[in-house]
Amino acid sequence: MRRLYPITRDLHLYLGLFISPFVLVFSLSVILLVHGWVPAASPEPAVRTVTGLSLPEGLERLKGRDLVNALRPVLDAIGVKGEVDFIRAIPGEHCLLIPVHFPGRDTSVSINWEKRSANIATRSDGWRGALVYLHKMPGQHNASVRVNSLFMRLWKWFADATVYLILFLTVSGVYLWTALRAERRIGLGLIAAGAFSFAGIVYAVCR
Amino acid sequence: MPSVGNQTPRGARPNSLASIFERWNRKLHYYIGLYLLFFVWLYSLTGLLLNHSAWKFQQFWPGRMVSAEERLIQDPAPGSDLDQAREVMRQFGIRGEIALPVGRPTPARLEVRASRPGYNYVILADLSQSRARLETTHVNAWGVVRALHEFIGVRLAGSGTRRNWIVTSVWALSMDAVSLGLIVMVVGGYYLWWRLPRKRAWGVVALAPGVLCCGAFVFGLRWLWS
Repeated sequence: MRRLYPITRDLHLYLGLFISPFVLVFSLSVILLVHGWVPAASPEPAVRTVTGLSLPEGLERLKGRDLVNALRPVLDAIGVKGEVDFIRAIPGEHCLLIPVHFPGRDTSVSINWEKRSANIATRSDGWRGALVYLHKMPGQHNASVRVNSLFMRLWKWFADATVYLILFLTVSGVYLWTALRAERRIGLGLIAAGAFSFAGIVYAVCR
Repeated sequence: MPSVGNQTPRGARPNSLASIFERWNRKLHYYIGLYLLFFVWLYSLTGLLLNHSAWKFQQFWPGRMVSAEERLIQDPAPGSDLDQAREVMRQFGIRGEIALPVGRPTPARLEVRASRPGYNYVILADLSQSRARLETTHVNAWGVVRALHEFIGVRLAGSGTRRNWIVTSVWALSMDAVSLGLIVMVVGGYYLWWRLPRKRAWGVVALAPGVLCCGAFVFGLRWLWS
């Protein structure tokens, strides 16, 4: 017990310091999301066209993750980096619409597989857009396609790590508080008040 | 075990401003943490669920229950679409955050979409015949907890949509409070750490990778590929 307290205190401090920037990112982005303070992407996109694309055979028959994997070299070749949100095929126009995201940057790629050309429109939505995008990713939608870029694989890992470390910090924090005898009564009161508020609001929302 | 709850900064008088700040910064760090404990657990765990939407145990949509009922209604009094939607919902005995379509095809047709965690409602009302059809989709507890993470009532940035259910506003306020509480805890925590000279160096070793990794995601990637 005597050794556990200083070890827990040090782990609480150092792991808390490591994960604190991520906690700030998630907290700030919540405020942006709750109030809709997310800036719209810059109105004038930077547009460019690339011709003479080398496209894999049978592109129009592929779907989901296979299609993303097949298109990744094409996107690399035209200098579009980032996470593919989804791919929408418009067979009548021989066209694939591909939104690609980076934190703070939104690129819309339209590939015409008949003409072997691509229109690329890039918009910037700044650091606030980056925070909100990171908060929402990888997210619950298009699970079969998502996490198709290296940065998103890393971000998913960090987002998970943030959760696990926050859980550790809360449990270790409670343990460290129990050692403060003078604060036990008020601490218990605050836990009870928090639990009461939490249960009350959840009940009001869900009933 | 040491009790560190009421320490006075070195060289400061017990009742000086510095001493009061020191004491309350420390107290606030754990007071806020204890008060927000359940909120933090909820948002952390639901965030994990949302990050791993393929996990089988939390699949709620295939098991959803859909029910429908059609009934005569009293025509709502003339007013805004929102007021009329509220009146029709009252007659069905349902409540939630309302999402109205941008326009009505005819004044006699009213379409209302409303939601609260666990329930989605769609009402199609034909006011010329005083009839309305309500379709209710109900999901299980996994669907409810995931919805709590996202229930903010503002659908699109810049869309001008506003929360129209007081409960959503209270929930959104609680999200703000949790976020601000965490920011205060983090900033206060930095100060607490800085006041421990023997832990500064190792603290920098712990903090720097976090700042670098996080900064890379928020700013660095854009800069790298610009």
